[in-house]
Amino acid sequence: MRNRKLIYYFLILLAVSFFSCKEEVEYHSITDKIEAEQKPYHGTLTSEELLADTELIKITEGEHIFFIPERKGQIKSFACIECHSKPVAKMKGQEGQKAHWNIKLNHATTETINCATCHNGNDMNNLNTLTGQNVDFNLSYKLCAQCHFSQFEDWKGGAHGKKVAGWAPPRASMTCVNCHNPHSPAYEKRWPVQFNTQKVIDREEGLGH
Amino acid sequence: MSENKKWYSLDLGLKNKKESSGSCGCGNAQGSCNSQKEEINAEEFYEAAINASIGEERHRDGFEQVFDVKMDRRSAFRKLTASLLIGAGAISTSCSVTTGADTKEKAQIDWEEQFKGNYKLMTDEEKQGTINRLMRSYELSTGKNISMTAENAEEDVLFGYAFNISKCQGYMDCVSACVEENNQDRNSQMQYIRIHEMKDGEGFKFDKADDNYYHEVPAEGHFYMGTQCFHCDNPPCVEVCPVQATWKEEDGLVVIDYDWCVGCRYCMAACPYDGRRFNWSKPEVPENEINKNQHYLGNRMRKKGVMEKCTFCVQRSRKGKNPACVEACPTGARIFGNLLDPNSTIRWVLENKKVFRLKEDLGTEPKFWYFMD
Repeated sequence: MRNRKLIYYFLILLAVSFFSCKEEVEYHSITDKIEAEQKPYHGTLTSEELLADTELIKITEGEHIFFIPERKGQIKSFACIECHSKPVAKMKGQEGQKAHWNIKLNHATTETINCATCHNGNDMNNLNTLTGQNVDFNLSYKLCAQCHFSQFEDWKGGAHGKKVAGWAPPRASMTCVNCHNPHSPAYEKRWPVQFNTQKVIDREEGLGH
Repeated sequence: MSENKKWYSLDLGLKNKKESSGSCGCGNAQGSCNSQKEEINAEEFYEAAINASIGEERHRDGFEQVFDVKMDRRSAFRKLTASLLIGAGAISTSCSVTTGADTKEKAQIDWEEQFKGNYKLMTDEEKQGTINRLMRSYELSTGKNISMTAENAEEDVLFGYAFNISKCQGYMDCVSACVEENNQDRNSQMQYIRIHEMKDGEGFKFDKADDNYYHEVPAEGHFYMGTQCFHCDNPPCVEVCPVQATWKEEDGLVVIDYDWCVGCRYCMAACPYDGRRFNWSKPEVPENEINKNQHYLGNRMRKKGVMEKCTFCVQRSRKGKNPACVEACPTGARIFGNLLDPNSTIRWVLENKKVFRLKEDLGTEPKFWYFMD
């Protein structure tokens, strides 16, 4: 009889401790929390609506599968063969309207790069790799990756570059040429977009920190 | 309206206006609205009001005073002073025959807003109620419409941020995008983000860095890094708030209820990162520049004497968008995402780049990491 009572007490104690443990778990650090609670996100938030107006193509690079904006539709004078009906070598020196006169190559040195490093003179509708293999204009990042391999690694993972729209899946990232002009890829110096005049006044008065 | 609300409702007679067109708003068919009030004089009224609110507290001290009261001090004082002001205003407007329905509605809204509870404790229904009132109030006072939402934290989402020091060029596009998005006061030129220009080779020296430069950037021999609210997982600002007007949401955002904040600025002092800003004057934004897509905890219009800060653009991030600074950055130095999603780009950055946080030894656990190429 006494034994049974003890068992009841024990059971009650067990139940109480079980329910009281249901409070929020404390983690030692944010990394522990992330580790413990991580879960591939399939929630209600998505970027699909934000991406609806952008034409995208799906690419697979190593373990990364994501979208990049379609490019050919954005190039004003695509398809190139509408003018480049003959190989470039044969068109050179011909009479007629000059095109692309404003393009000045400001990318590495002429020892490393010239037009033919990326463009295929015999097939202007495509780009070509260093070994002469055709690359679609939509996949121009493959050309950049030939030299800029560390940037390419970062871009694939998402450390280099920008998303097209929101943070929520599906992932759509800008491709190289969405931010860099391939003929002159460096960012130029410019003035900051704004200047806080009030901060200057506050600091002169000793109000700032 | 539900019966168990956390604040008092004042019926200004808007609903039964048609039935009792002869009488005034307070429902008294005979005599003036103030007739009942006149029966007790001012001194008695004052005494009664104090008794009703903090009466017991007056002859208690120490432990009893803190733990054995029917009502907390805050609400007592609020009810006492505010009800005198607003109640008097509301009654006079409701009794007046000359004021229009709009004024009466405005008074009703002001009343309900004054006595609403802390946002943190509100049910979804109450949250909807308060944003509806705020939208209507804006419409009544300006004639223009705003859209305000009250999305709660999404499940399985924990927001985090990464900043690439190698990429930032100091253009400050993020700063102006932030000001425009979040309706910050234009007079005091309040900014949540600071971009620090630091000398190469000297490391992080905030006292020597310039956070208000104006020359062509990037300047020779300098690098740039931005600071803002880091949405700490162990936020000291939340800890010190005496009225619990600021707290950490489930998705990791540290937010402020601007209507609950008393403006003591303890949080400003507690933040080791200068993440918080105070409205010393009434924030002014030209009507045509107001961002009308608002969130209760985010970019809705603030008032004088309350704290505000970066919310990772809660009005955007809880809709799946990136914060305005991330979207505006021309160099891709800013990365935002869900820390709990192992497939997110922010997670790739944390796992594959060499990341660090500011003043990590304080144990504040910021959810804002810096990294380099």
